[in-house]
Amino acid sequence: MQNNKSGVLESVSRRRKNKGKLNLIMDRQKQSKSESLNNKDTAECACSIVEAEDFSFYYGSTMGVKNITMEVFPCSVTAIIGPSGCGKSTFLRAINRINDLIPNTRIEGTLLVNGHDIYAKKTNLVNLRQQVGMVFQKPNPFPKSIFDNIAYGPRLQGTTKGSKLQQIVEESLKAAALWEEVKDDLRKSALALSGGQQQRLCIARALATRPSVLLMDEPCSALDPIATGKIEDLIEQLKSDYTIVIVTHNMQQAARVSERTAFFCLGELIEYDFTPKIFRNPGKKQTEDYITGRFG
Amino acid sequence: MRLSFRYISDKAFTGLTAVSVVLLSLVLIVVLAPMIWRGSSAVVFKATVEFRKMQMDLFNRGEPSELQAEIARTESFRKEVYETLDKFKKGIDTESLSDQARRIHRQFGSELRLRNITGDEYTQLRSLTRELRDRLLTAFESRDIAEIRENIEYVSGYKNDPRLTDTSASALFELGTNYLESAQSIDLKQFEQYSESIEEIEQSIRDLFGPRPGEPTPAGVRLRYGATRWDQAAKCLDRLFWAQKWVETEPAKPLIKIKLSRAHQFAGTELEKLFEYMEQNVQKLLNPRLTFYWQYFIDDSFNSHYFGGVGPEILGTVLITLLGMLFVVPLGLISAAYLVECASDNPAVRIIRMCINTLAGVPSIVFGLFGLTFFILYLFPLLGAESKGCILAASLTLAVLTLPVMIRASEEAIRAVPQTYKEASLSLGASGFRTFVTVTLPAALPGILTGVILSLSRIAGETAPILFTGAVALGPVPKSVFDPTRTLSYGSYDMAVGDRISMMVPHNQYGMVVTLVILILCLNTLAIVLRTRVFKKLKGQ
Repeated sequence: MQNNKSGVLESVSRRRKNKGKLNLIMDRQKQSKSESLNNKDTAECACSIVEAEDFSFYYGSTMGVKNITMEVFPCSVTAIIGPSGCGKSTFLRAINRINDLIPNTRIEGTLLVNGHDIYAKKTNLVNLRQQVGMVFQKPNPFPKSIFDNIAYGPRLQGTTKGSKLQQIVEESLKAAALWEEVKDDLRKSALALSGGQQQRLCIARALATRPSVLLMDEPCSALDPIATGKIEDLIEQLKSDYTIVIVTHNMQQAARVSERTAFFCLGELIEYDFTPKIFRNPGKKQTEDYITGRFG
Repeated sequence: MRLSFRYISDKAFTGLTAVSVVLLSLVLIVVLAPMIWRGSSAVVFKATVEFRKMQMDLFNRGEPSELQAEIARTESFRKEVYETLDKFKKGIDTESLSDQARRIHRQFGSELRLRNITGDEYTQLRSLTRELRDRLLTAFESRDIAEIRENIEYVSGYKNDPRLTDTSASALFELGTNYLESAQSIDLKQFEQYSESIEEIEQSIRDLFGPRPGEPTPAGVRLRYGATRWDQAAKCLDRLFWAQKWVETEPAKPLIKIKLSRAHQFAGTELEKLFEYMEQNVQKLLNPRLTFYWQYFIDDSFNSHYFGGVGPEILGTVLITLLGMLFVVPLGLISAAYLVECASDNPAVRIIRMCINTLAGVPSIVFGLFGLTFFILYLFPLLGAESKGCILAASLTLAVLTLPVMIRASEEAIRAVPQTYKEASLSLGASGFRTFVTVTLPAALPGILTGVILSLSRIAGETAPILFTGAVALGPVPKSVFDPTRTLSYGSYDMAVGDRISMMVPHNQYGMVVTLVILILCLNTLAIVLRTRVFKKLKGQ
């Protein structure tokens, strides 16, 4: 349990203290990565990468999510669905502690990423967030060039060599299926791209730091169907290398892209199971009502 | 019906706004145009030969041989003026005539002693010349032509006296006849007025042409040259041609100033020709030429802004402004960053915020006194520096003055940066500080530059805070930031309240104000261009 008032700048001072911890996490990250690479074919891995246990999140006195207990498995796509205000985004944003930006929040229970309690006092936020990348609802590229947008993360990690950066940028853009469209003009402002391109750029940017988990907070809600299709294809490609948690309002999308689906309602996790099961044969009445549109 | 009403009200609103915009710009033009018009006369004006002479002497500008030729040309025309004046003056200057008569009498006495004439003869001759002298003095003092004629004729009676011919005493006869001649030509009743008028005329001519050739150079630079500008010359000529007189039209009513033509006043005398001559030859006497005096912006000034430009003032203003910005921008940015990013909403921070808002409304003179007591009287001695007004103290005071403006603008700008930028940066693993420097700050730059523009204009234009902390009206060009300096704002203020200098050189006063306006405009344009560029870059255009 921790009361985060000004956690943003605290991480700067923590960084030095947690040097040992940093290495530990890095090692763990590499390990899990190699594990996931080895188990490419088996989408289901025995060990979970994100694990919530009785996790509750409060905005001041208002409850965000309550008593969530669920596991996210590596190299798979996990979708979170549910009506507005049910705490899907709150939970997602809790995984890389980006909710710390909001003053007067507190948590209960534990949330483990790679086996570490991320809400422990010693957690290095910088490390955590490099491990857990995030794509937001609205495309939010920095007002910089395409190159600088993608190189932002690697530069933070200490990569300053031009050729190395060039390589990372190219790989990331290729991974995000954007390379062919922008390769001629990487110096162009990212804001000059279309909405769909911007969102793929944001994904490329998140990939450039080589995270093990990629959180996507309704990544297609601001996009047209064609751009949405491209993003979905991208998710399909990415899931072999990354663990993806996606929040979506679009149930078809959840059905199309995810292996597992969690249904949230009023801050609680109602049901969490393999996607086909959730959509064809839900275990709870509430879930069934929601996915068949009889909700409310 | 309803639709038409809506249409009309819509149009009326548009019209009203358009009218108000037009009115506003009209007011701006009405206020600014005359100022700029007058101010521009400091740079573009008709310069007389005196101006070129001054430029040559003070700044070594121009072609010496050409200037010599020009001066010689004008001198030849001026000679006539001086001669006419002298001739007339001789006739009416009774005091100097009396002195001359006395001197001749004394001289005759010593001459007699030199010639070894003693005894009765000496006494006789002395009493004779004494009588002649007294007769002349009576004539000079008299205002009655008959009396004058009688006395002069009495004196002239001794003209052929063998004892006096070929002696220095014979000069007395010449003096007498000359005086009679001029006394006959003038109206003796106006004698007093003549001598008064002639003094004014002489002064006007001195103002117009400078000191007479051959006279010693006056100590003050102002007195060394005549009217350097055509507008000045026009004023002098006006004083020369027209006498001003206060007359009472009705009892117990304010007096009214009327203008009397001097040519009319001196009608029938020798001097009448002078006015006609000057009126006809004024171009040749002064040789006015349209001049573009761009050096106004770099020249030092002489004799408290009487001559020269505003170079040191511009330098001082720019120095103080830039140094002030050097203090205010980082301080303001750091404070704003703290208030937005770090400070939580507790009473202490709320008090700080309130203080900042209050400071923005404190009169600038209070900041001036603060700067004097804190920086100059307390901090400088504490740090071992000399306790006097200087550029550093002035810019520090101005920085304190504009800090609230800067903080407020930067705070708004930083707050307006979309949260998504911060989230994106943080989610990539950037620390809070790194996020602020690499993402928030660049995105807030246009707003911060707005704060810079506001502070810049304020700093450059403020007078009260530098009144006690580093501005001087006159003085040398500063050599370091520990010297006081002249500034445009303080200079304008000083000219406005100071001696009658603003009456004498209004073009300089307006010139200084317009220079300040233009300087601020230039600095602002620079900042605005910068802001537009940053903005375009942020927008990805």
